[in-house]
Parts: sequence; C-alpha cells; structure tokens
Amino acid sequence: MTGLLRATNLRVAYGDVPVLDGVDLTLARGEFVALIGPNGAGKTTLLRTIAGIAPLDGGHIDLDGHDLASAPRSAKQAIGLAIDPPGLPALLTGRECLSLFAGARGLPTIPATTLALGETLSLMPVLDRRIDSYSLGMRQKLGIMLGLLGEPPLLLLDEPFNGLDPRSALAFKTHLVSLVARGDTSALLATHSLDVAERHATHVVLLMDGRVRRSWDTAELAAMRENPQHSLEKAMAGACGT
Amino acid sequence: MTAPWHPAIRADWLVLRRTGPMAWVRVLGPPVLLLIGCIALACGDLYAGYAWCLAAAALLALGGACGIAHQRLLDALERWRFGWCGALPIARPAAASTLLLSATAALVASLAFTTTLLFGIAAPAPQGGDLPYAVAAIDGALVAGVAVAAIRVLRRGALARVHHMDGIREPLLALPWLNDPRLPHLLDWQRRAALVRWRRGGSFMAVGIVLAAVPIGAPMVQVSALVLLVLSWSWLTVVMRASADAFISAVRLLAAVPWNVRSARMAALRYPLVATPCALVFVVVGAALLRHGVVVLLWIVCTGAASAWPLVRLARATRFADPRA
Repeated sequence: MTGLLRATNLRVAYGDVPVLDGVDLTLARGEFVALIGPNGAGKTTLLRTIAGIAPLDGGHIDLDGHDLASAPRSAKQAIGLAIDPPGLPALLTGRECLSLFAGARGLPTIPATTLALGETLSLMPVLDRRIDSYSLGMRQKLGIMLGLLGEPPLLLLDEPFNGLDPRSALAFKTHLVSLVARGDTSALLATHSLDVAERHATHVVLLMDGRVRRSWDTAELAAMRENPQHSLEKAMAGACGT
Repeated sequence: MTAPWHPAIRADWLVLRRTGPMAWVRVLGPPVLLLIGCIALACGDLYAGYAWCLAAAALLALGGACGIAHQRLLDALERWRFGWCGALPIARPAAASTLLLSATAALVASLAFTTTLLFGIAAPAPQGGDLPYAVAAIDGALVAGVAVAAIRVLRRGALARVHHMDGIREPLLALPWLNDPRLPHLLDWQRRAALVRWRRGGSFMAVGIVLAAVPIGAPMVQVSALVLLVLSWSWLTVVMRASADAFISAVRLLAAVPWNVRSARMAALRYPLVATPCALVFVVVGAALLRHGVVVLLWIVCTGAASAWPLVRLARATRFADPRA
C-alpha cells in the first residue's frame, strides 16, 4: 500500500478556541479509516482542512505526494469531498450539478460510474428535478455522488448515512467497501455510527478535544468483531474515560 | 399560550448587532439613499419652482418604498418560515404582527427622517410655503408604498410562489453552447438567480426611478424611451449582482475540486457578457426614440458604475485559489 495522505501536526483554531491541536494522520491506498469522537471533537474540521477548505493555522498536509499549501490543485486531484446537503445549489437540477462538477474536474461528461451509483442509490428518477424540491435524503445522495465523481483516490465523507433510507444506506456501504477493496481508493469517514466503523473500517481513530486520543488497527478491530464481549462502543467509552 | 411576536426578531436583532458596521450600512443604506433622493428631487420645486419635481419625488418614494419593503418583508417571512425557527410552534398571526410592527417602526423612522430633513433644508426656500404639501406628498407616498408591500407579502400563497422556484422558465430559445464546458450550467445558475432576484423587487425600484424622471406632460415617445433605458439598466444591474452571487456560491461549492481558476473566471463572465449586448439593443432603441446619442454614453457610464462592485466581487471570489498550482 502506498501513502495517500500524510497530515502532520495540524493546528486549527476558531478565534481563541483550538479545534485541532497537533493532529497527525496517515492513510494509505486501500484503507478505510473511520474518524469517531464526541460532538465538537474536530472531525468535520479535520475533513475540511484535508480538503483544503478550512484555513490551517499550523502543520502540513501532503496528498498523493503533493503539498496542499503550495500545490493545491495537484493535491486536490487526489480527493473527493461529499458535499453537505445544505450547500447544494437549489437553482440547479441534480444532473446539472453533476455536470458542473464534472466540468470543473476536467471531465467532458458525467462519468458512467457516477450515473451507475445514482441507479444504485435510486436517485436517477429525480435527477432532472431542481435540487430545491429534493428531500434531505435525496440531497445526501447527490452530495455523495458529487464526492465520488471521477473516482478520486481519497474519499472524504462526513456522516454520509444521515438521512439515507436503510436500503440506500446498505447499497452505499456495499459500494464503498467494494471500492476500497479494489485497493486504489481509500475512505476517511467521520461518523457516529460505531457499527459501520467496527464492521467496515480498517482503522478507527478517536478524536477528542482536537487531538487523536486513541486509534485501533485492523487486528484490534478484527478481535472486536470476533469477540462479542468487546465492542468499539465499549473501547471508545474506555478511551474517553466514561 | 402562543407568543404575540415571532421570537426570531430578537435573534435577527442580535445577529445584526454582532455582525459589525457593514451590516448596518447594508440595512440602512438603500432606504436612506432613497429618502435623500426624494428630498433632493422635491427641492427642485421648492427652490427652483420647476412644478413637476414634487410629483416625481412622491412617485419615487412610492416605488422605492414598495420595492425595498417588499423585498425585506419577504426575506424575513421566508427566513422565519423555512429557516432554523421554521419548526417552532409560532402562530401565523404572530409572524404577521411582527412583520407589521417592524414595517411600522421602519416607516415611522423614515417619516421622521424625511420630515426633519425636508424642514431643515427647504424651510428657507423661495417656495417654502409649499413645504407642508411636499412633506404630505412624500410621507403619504412612503406610507402607501409600505402598505402595498405589506399587503402583497401577507397575501396567502405569496411566499409559496416565490419560495418554490418551479415558476422559473427555461429560455424560449435554448442555446446550450452558451454554457462554458469548463463549468457547465454556471450560466444557467446565474440566469435563474437573476430571474429570482428580479421577481423579488428588482423591477420596483426601476419603475419608481423611471416614473420620477418623467416630467408632467412629457411626450409618450420620450416616456417609452426612458422606460426602456431605465429598465434595461436595472435588469443588467440585477444580472451583474446575481452573476457575482451565483459565482461566489459556485466557488464555495467547488472549493475541494481541483479546478482551473482562470477558466472559472472566464466562465463566470460569460452570462454578464451575453446579457450586456441584449440590454444594449433596448438602449439603442431608447436612444433612437429620444434622438440623443449621448444617452447611450450616459447609460454605459451608469451601468459601469453599478456593475463595478459585482465585477470586483466576481474577480475576488477566487483570490484564495492558486492558478499556478
């Protein structure tokens, strides 16, 4: 596995409030890393910082061999960020929005793989309707499709299962796991769904108060899955000191 | 027991107080400029005895007050009904009474400002005896304008028509090649944003201004020419502002995407560049009706002045992205 993301000593503050305080994170191709932690731990800020859309007060981010600060365009070739539902443009249709992203990524049309994902998520029947008329779940699906458009090697997903119906959530989990299993795609998933993290992630990182408090590797997660006495929920509670 | 006032009014007030001086400028700027414009126009009668300026000032006050009040009341109602407080158990009469109270407070402040300023400026004027008529005409127009806006906003279904964007038409003559392939549908986004903004009251100010500029007894041809000139100016100004806003939203949306900043800027300029010659067609017709070529030059200067800030915003939207990377 080759290095895809190397973040060192990341520091971000909102005013006087430190949100990330010396976070180190590395991720190789074919890894599925789940980022867990209580509300306000800095999960979303970490994802936004890696995506280059939140200002960094200190530290260094390297994406697929490119420094995000000095070569943002080359570095961002490596990432796909699932868009938050409220950030989607209400005045465009889903297909127009996908087309806009495809054009910005230098693709002539919406890739067939993205449309296939739309079929999997059952979004195709409403793709030509304005986003203004979409439900939360439909917007979430479109945001996921935008993040995965062009199959970038590193997917950044912030609570992507929010608002998804169980069938679509299962379809997306299966799709994500198969993408990662191919070995050329990695996922960094911020989530409160500990079952998803425990079952599907290759690594889990616990973020608390802007620092990495604890991490679990593949072997530890496999041990948890095999032994019903252990679970990520209990391990997280122990690490949090509650 | 439900509250008689909408609680979001307090949150709006706190947000306004904490946002800084620019927020106050944005809130107070347009109405203050409108009132000063009305007073300045009315002084044409009081000082120079032109005999038509007062009517024009009253019409400007009517159109301007209606436009500004309609846009702001509609924005507030939409924010309260569909924003963070949309799910709170607030009775509709509470929202309506809060809107009416806010509109009344703003109206009273406007009346006080206009009356004080007009008496202060025009009391020593040669036609100072007409001052009570001027005050009554402008204040009456302000009251009527705000009342019309409030009635339009509080009508059942008024918000639904604006909020749901289904009414946005596609162009009669679709020209897909107008869209820049480097940012497809950005032009559609800008066009629809301009249409929404135009329907929200962008045209009311223009109507007020054009009526204000028409002297009593002016020939119909000249009135038509003025209407064409002012409406095309107003429309293009709305297009410029909407284009800048849509592009800034697109930059935020595509922040994590490795796009070419220079190409993006060119794509963002495409709709304003298409809209400008369309507006110029009406300007040329208007100038021909007026038989004054200099009008075109004046129109270009006015449009350039109104478009400068949106174009600066459009250019600055990508300033944090590095085009060399």
